[in-house]
Amino acid sequence: MVLSRKEILRRMRELEVSDKHNLVITPLIYKDEDDIFDADSVDLRLGCHFLLPKTLDQPFFSPDRSSATSLHVRVHVPLGQFLVVPAHQTILGATLEFIKLPSDVSGQVLTKSTVARTFIVVETAPWIHPQYRGCLTLEIANVSNTPVLLYPGRLICQLILMKIAPDHEKAKSSPNLDEIGNDASTKPDKNYFGPVYPEAPKFKDPQEDLWGIGITRVSGLKRTRLHPTKKGWRE
Amino acid sequence: MPDGLADLLHDAAVLHRFVDFIEEYCKEQERSQTYVDASGLFFQYVEKLAAGIKQELGGEIDRATQFPARLPILRRNILTLKYYLRLLHALIKPAADAHTLTIPAPLIDLAAQQLQKVEGMKGSSVVILLTPEFMYFQRPHTDIKDQARFVESFIPNASFPPKLGFIELPYSQGPSFFTNLAIYHEIGHFVYEELSNFDPPHANFTALKSAMARSLSKVFGQGSKDRQAQAFAGKIIENWTQEIFCDLFAIRLLGPAFSLALVEILGMLGFLSRSASVRFNPTHPASACRFAEHIRLLEADTWLKAIKDIKPEQMKLLEKLAKEPRANYSFYLDDKRRGPDSLMHAFLDVVVPAIRTLACRVTSKAAPVVKRFDRVRRDVEDCLRVGVVPHTTSSSSHDPVSIINSAFCFYLTSLPRVLEEFEGVEAKNDVAKHSLWTKRLEMWTMKAIEDSQIQDRLRRLKGTALWSFLEKKS
Repeated sequence: MVLSRKEILRRMRELEVSDKHNLVITPLIYKDEDDIFDADSVDLRLGCHFLLPKTLDQPFFSPDRSSATSLHVRVHVPLGQFLVVPAHQTILGATLEFIKLPSDVSGQVLTKSTVARTFIVVETAPWIHPQYRGCLTLEIANVSNTPVLLYPGRLICQLILMKIAPDHEKAKSSPNLDEIGNDASTKPDKNYFGPVYPEAPKFKDPQEDLWGIGITRVSGLKRTRLHPTKKGWRE
Repeated sequence: MPDGLADLLHDAAVLHRFVDFIEEYCKEQERSQTYVDASGLFFQYVEKLAAGIKQELGGEIDRATQFPARLPILRRNILTLKYYLRLLHALIKPAADAHTLTIPAPLIDLAAQQLQKVEGMKGSSVVILLTPEFMYFQRPHTDIKDQARFVESFIPNASFPPKLGFIELPYSQGPSFFTNLAIYHEIGHFVYEELSNFDPPHANFTALKSAMARSLSKVFGQGSKDRQAQAFAGKIIENWTQEIFCDLFAIRLLGPAFSLALVEILGMLGFLSRSASVRFNPTHPASACRFAEHIRLLEADTWLKAIKDIKPEQMKLLEKLAKEPRANYSFYLDDKRRGPDSLMHAFLDVVVPAIRTLACRVTSKAAPVVKRFDRVRRDVEDCLRVGVVPHTTSSSSHDPVSIINSAFCFYLTSLPRVLEEFEGVEAKNDVAKHSLWTKRLEMWTMKAIEDSQIQDRLRRLKGTALWSFLEKKS
């Protein structure tokens, strides 16, 4: 069930921040409330920090523990200035708003239709789990043939909130479980906890991921440096 | 070609190449990074100056070719420029390093806003420099400004921005928040230096200066002939005065968060041991003496009452040091040689009361309202406890100073509980996790300040004529 504007506002304004059903979206900046609240969604603004893709010193990007942070360069664009996204380029941005989702609500981020019509696409992994907190990292792609200017502070995407169907059977089995079957010890994701800037992906090495499904021989690419010896070039 | 022109031409060409590089360097930095307003102002000045110098050098060489009598003027101007550019050269790179990704920009913006409310400081701004030293400094700017004025007499298109100060931050502390509250002390040095240049002089500053003179008379007696010793003692009194003034200035603008930050920094530097804390040296009064003044002001401003039930260990240490009896203070000229205690006592009796008056006077419009802290504290703590950026659901935003104090107290008292809540009991003794969560608390606090500044800007604009005009247009 998609949360209505009334329910969104109720959870934001009437419930204490410590309440597990409380929803946080901050800061709320608008001239009129209607500017950002629709009947079934909230519009979010583009934040001031970005991760731009770097030109790598090797011909590939390997998503592993060591290389994950080597893909981007951090950039700060203050309110009132703009960032140019070249044609067919992708960047990581973040929402200006910090979000805390309730324990019984999931969220989905969609490109605002006006923005989408400029062929700027926001989010290819749009799902947000219950209890998530942080500014949302946005994968922004300019799929058009022309460079596009992005202004931090402008509305860029919309957040749709959905209540998770209750699991009555599981909830009944223990008094400590809530209506969706979580107990008090269910914690938010620790990997991406509370960021206020866009976050680079955090990977494990491929072998760490793959041994868990029984793969013990994993190929890898190693960068080497050669130097001449009497027997020829050696590593 | 007139005699000596060839040498000067060579010199001018070297200078031209030098300023050309500096101009290009500043432009390149501005293109690739974002800076706080004051740094932008400084770079623009340097670029204008460089363009002016290049133009002037060309023109002067032409004139000197026709009128050899101008050669000495050209020679003098080149010498002046060389000296001045050496001063600027030392500032440009550290200023370029301090872009918004390497400094706590929301805190710097907040400090710049508060500075506008300090008496006589409207229109002033502070350029941040990153230093390799592990210490915070204020770069004295009077010399630079004097030189700038002289240079302006023959490069008229570039005038040094009025009331521009320079503050150095250790590069390692750039992105952190809580320790960087120490910059308020350095801003105090900037204000003190500006106060000393006021024309006509500030009444309370004049009173302070005469108190300093009285303290010296008390030590040396009227009409003392030992001028050298008196000058040296005068310099020491001046140093101590500035340090106490800057501490009180920072507390007036920031409240107890400044004292707590100072405890952290002095602790890191090893200045809080029993023996070190009661020792005056020629540049600084004893930490115990400084903290006694902190406590006195915090009490007078009712901050102590406001934080009485949330005493972190650092506050207890501060209070303990502040209670150190004056009889235990000692004055050492260096590691071994003792200085005259009479100088220390004259300073405490005669000068310190005048410092208190001056600090309170110049900050009378900039000091935060403690009552707001009472209202905000619980909200901020509730948010941080659940890992959320402090915010309010009402139409009014929290004021930044209250957010900073609440968050600092929370950091000092409640971090282990938050760690336990989110990471489990075993994380309580995990240093890396402590460090990670400190970073998170700092990020959320900075975000809260940034948000409150955005909301505040909107609130200030609403209801103005400009707002009505823009409304009609939209």
